[in-house]
Amino acid sequence: MTTETVVRPRPATEDGTPPEQRHGTGLPALGFLAPFLLLYLAFVIGPTLYGLVMSFFDTSLVKPGLSGFAGFGNYAEALQSADFWSSLWHTVWFTILTTPPLIALAFIFALLADRAKNGRWFFRLAFFAPYILPSAVVALIWIFIYTPGLGLLETALGTIGITSPNWLGDPVWAMPSLAMTTVWWTLGFNFVLYLAGLQEIPRDLYEASAMDGASPWQQIRKITIPMLARTTTLVAVLQVIASLKVFDQMYIMTSGGPNFATRSILEYVYDEGFTNFRVGYAAAVSMLFFLVVLMVSAVWFSIVRRQEKET
Amino acid sequence: MTDLAQRAHSRVKLFNRICFGVLIAFALLWLVPLAWALDTALKPNAETTKTTWAIADPTLDAFSRVLRDTDILTWFGSSLFIATMSAVGTVLVASLAAYALSRMRFRYRTVVFWAVLAGIMIPGQVLIVPWFREFDALGMLNTWWAVSLPQIPTAIAVFIFKQFFDGLPRELEEVARLDGAGYLRIYRRIIMPLARPAVAAVAIFTFVTSWNDLLWPLLVLSNPDIMTVPVGLSTVQGSFGIRYADTMASAILGAIPLVAVFLLFQRNIVEGIAGSGLKG
Amino acid sequence: MTLSRRALLRGTAATAALGLTGCSGLTPGRDTSGSLDYWNLFGGGDGVRMTQMLDTFRTANPSVELSAVTLTWGNPYYTKLALATLGDKPPDVAVSHLTRMKTLVSSDLLEELRPADLARHGITADKFTPRAWQAGLVDGKAYAIPIDTHPFVMFYNTDICKKADLLDSSGGLKPLDSPEKFTEAMRKAKEISGAYGGVVAINNDTSTPWRIFQSLYAQLGGEMLADEGRRVVIDDAKATQVLAFLQSLTKSGLFPAGIDYQGAIATFANGQSGFYFQGEWEISTFQTAKMPFSMTLFPNIYGGSKYAVQADSHTLVIPRQPDPDQGRLDRSLLLIRSMLDQSKTWAEGGHVPAWLPFRDSADYRAMTPQSNYSAAADAAVYDPPGWYSGSGSNFEIITGSAIATVLGGQQSPADALAQMRGQLQNLSTTASPI
Repeated sequence: MTTETVVRPRPATEDGTPPEQRHGTGLPALGFLAPFLLLYLAFVIGPTLYGLVMSFFDTSLVKPGLSGFAGFGNYAEALQSADFWSSLWHTVWFTILTTPPLIALAFIFALLADRAKNGRWFFRLAFFAPYILPSAVVALIWIFIYTPGLGLLETALGTIGITSPNWLGDPVWAMPSLAMTTVWWTLGFNFVLYLAGLQEIPRDLYEASAMDGASPWQQIRKITIPMLARTTTLVAVLQVIASLKVFDQMYIMTSGGPNFATRSILEYVYDEGFTNFRVGYAAAVSMLFFLVVLMVSAVWFSIVRRQEKET
Repeated sequence: MTDLAQRAHSRVKLFNRICFGVLIAFALLWLVPLAWALDTALKPNAETTKTTWAIADPTLDAFSRVLRDTDILTWFGSSLFIATMSAVGTVLVASLAAYALSRMRFRYRTVVFWAVLAGIMIPGQVLIVPWFREFDALGMLNTWWAVSLPQIPTAIAVFIFKQFFDGLPRELEEVARLDGAGYLRIYRRIIMPLARPAVAAVAIFTFVTSWNDLLWPLLVLSNPDIMTVPVGLSTVQGSFGIRYADTMASAILGAIPLVAVFLLFQRNIVEGIAGSGLKG
Repeated sequence: MTLSRRALLRGTAATAALGLTGCSGLTPGRDTSGSLDYWNLFGGGDGVRMTQMLDTFRTANPSVELSAVTLTWGNPYYTKLALATLGDKPPDVAVSHLTRMKTLVSSDLLEELRPADLARHGITADKFTPRAWQAGLVDGKAYAIPIDTHPFVMFYNTDICKKADLLDSSGGLKPLDSPEKFTEAMRKAKEISGAYGGVVAINNDTSTPWRIFQSLYAQLGGEMLADEGRRVVIDDAKATQVLAFLQSLTKSGLFPAGIDYQGAIATFANGQSGFYFQGEWEISTFQTAKMPFSMTLFPNIYGGSKYAVQADSHTLVIPRQPDPDQGRLDRSLLLIRSMLDQSKTWAEGGHVPAWLPFRDSADYRAMTPQSNYSAAADAAVYDPPGWYSGSGSNFEIITGSAIATVLGGQQSPADALAQMRGQLQNLSTTASPI
């Protein structure tokens, strides 16, 4: 027989809350929340509002105060600026180049790894190790690999008869090169996500379909992919948002070049605000960037809502 | 087993073997860049112009030159300090806030909840311009705190903790409260010890993210003496010129601390990602 | 102050550990122990030479703990310098192009170099190339010490030019002081080389097209900006004349139309072109390649009696210090003086020294081909002042890209001019942040 614990009955209240929670939780709650809320106000909410205000002025990095009022001038300039739109386009192009491989390859590798009986630790290590490296390390290694003349890539492709372009110096190939580096760098994260998702799928689904004569391909199409829909959505959205925020690779590997061909929107903010000292304008561009991120998040939110309604 | 089933079985086995082979090939391919960096770092600089795996004169000179001529050890110290402060700070601050949101009822609970949720939507990159002005006004540019403090109020950490706390059974707390324990004691003695998986996940993620952060530290740390590893490596990148062995040695040295973290905490990291993914 | 007290102070400071600052305040110029941070942007051959010069300084001044950092050339360097100064942790001495230094001054990021302090170290205005010194003054005050002028020059293959009968009796190049003479020389060189007459970098390079354009345009007397960059004053007629001339060179096949920086070097080094147009700093490349070449002034095609050529100067500046300190200032000036004294090493990299004691010496005159083009320093045309202008700046990127399309044959001079004017006007009408 189970032991019975004696629990003193609590007097009931109108809303069901225990009496000790009805009064006086204001102060303790404040105490617990204070550290976070203070830092949050100082370093998240406050700066967001300050950035918004700054965007309406011609604030300069090397002058104190807000300087002259610009109204919507900074926003107008940004929306009419070829540099703004091209850096936005470069960011989108980067997203297009990296997101499909990062989803598809991660999925394929996870599928293969899922089928492997042993050695999974090795695959996790191989694919995930790059992910924890700082961008500077990744950049230094890949700059060397892309170096014309003695880079590993050029030599390796040369042995099978392919002549390489100047990977980082050719305006056409610079962004794909950065994309390739990024895929190598961050694939591990998606790989782990997919692997975990795959292992959640009940094995008997596969066994049942195998007994019905389904081939591995059919199993993947009919069982695996649909069951991973939520993981895929998550991976896709995280990937898109991370790609929008790209900065490190461009800054270190190409400095946004050649001729700004790889300058991302954040690098544009950096250039305008901290190289050209125009922080008011940079704040406006940051706000526009923020809007883009919000829109993508809103799209994700609605997709997830729809998926939840379906399941 | 019937003949048909046997053939199907061997077909599946063959398929599995092919899959395994393909995967091994890709995994090895994925290891090539790091291996190549290590290989190059072990060569004398003069040998690096020949693109070959063979090393005629293996030497650790590149590493000693980097350790001697750059401030990389100082950078390790900076990164370690900042990342640790961020990790400790985030765990503390977020778990306290999450406990309040999870366990306490107070008047503005919903407002606070949604305000914190909104924070997830605001990426730090949007705030670099106001942050710079803010710390400039406070006279705190070129300090470690300027890097660490903005990293601490992370809304996601609050939600990870809250979700974890929500899942904890309340009986233990109720017993403790009947014995007269206040919120703080319950938090310290009961909740947090149980929250080890969440603490580990948040601490490690914050540590790694902080260590690898480039954009904001790049702006705020311009003194080579206090730079973090990523900022230091990207700032002096040009100075090696064509001394590729030295460049690769600096990359390898820059990678070592985090690879060590990864090897030690592999399970936590992977579980953390997987857990957050499944919760969607 | 009594003699014994001064000696005591000097002794104390001398035995003090590294990092002690301010002790030497009472013995100006004598006591030099302490730390010194120096930032520069020199890579490649210049970087090697700079390291050499710094090592010589270290040997001569063992009590100064010099820490030198090399940052990536261009905007990244200037951004970091500005951010470090704003963050109150600037280096003690830094390199700056003359054309970028004015922006730093206007942003209140540099310390004024007072004549009294400079004189203590033997640095006076009359010891510098007048042009370089004057160009660095703001309101009559000095903020930068020029160490060189690096002009755009003409390299020529002595073998090819000899065969093409372009050399005079002493082996020097006959002057190419008109468009016809220039084109004729290129044609003759092309016949001998079998490929091209001359070569200049065009692709993925905005600085070089700007420099060759500016040299010719300035010879015609043209200007680009006025009022600290607030007005765009491009002379359409003169600019079109230069652009048309440049385009004729590539269109007629005298120059290759689609070549990048390294490709241009290779073309000249391999003897596929008789002439090469670039800054003087590439001298080491061709010396290493052991090919028969020499260098001279960029030709005076349009200038007549008023020769002009595009150039910039490297200068040494002292960023605004949070705690001005006499000892630190003296250490900084000590380093600057040392760099000037080693002008010979620096000139080996092709640069024209700005330090007259060396430039006027027999030692320098004996350095060939460097001394061939030393007159360029006196005819140097610097990029126009403006917050968005200077070496490696947006100004050069905008102009250079447009000019490159003309050289490459992708745009007509008129279209390129319109493109340039439009983009520059965007910048000129933007409120200046400084």
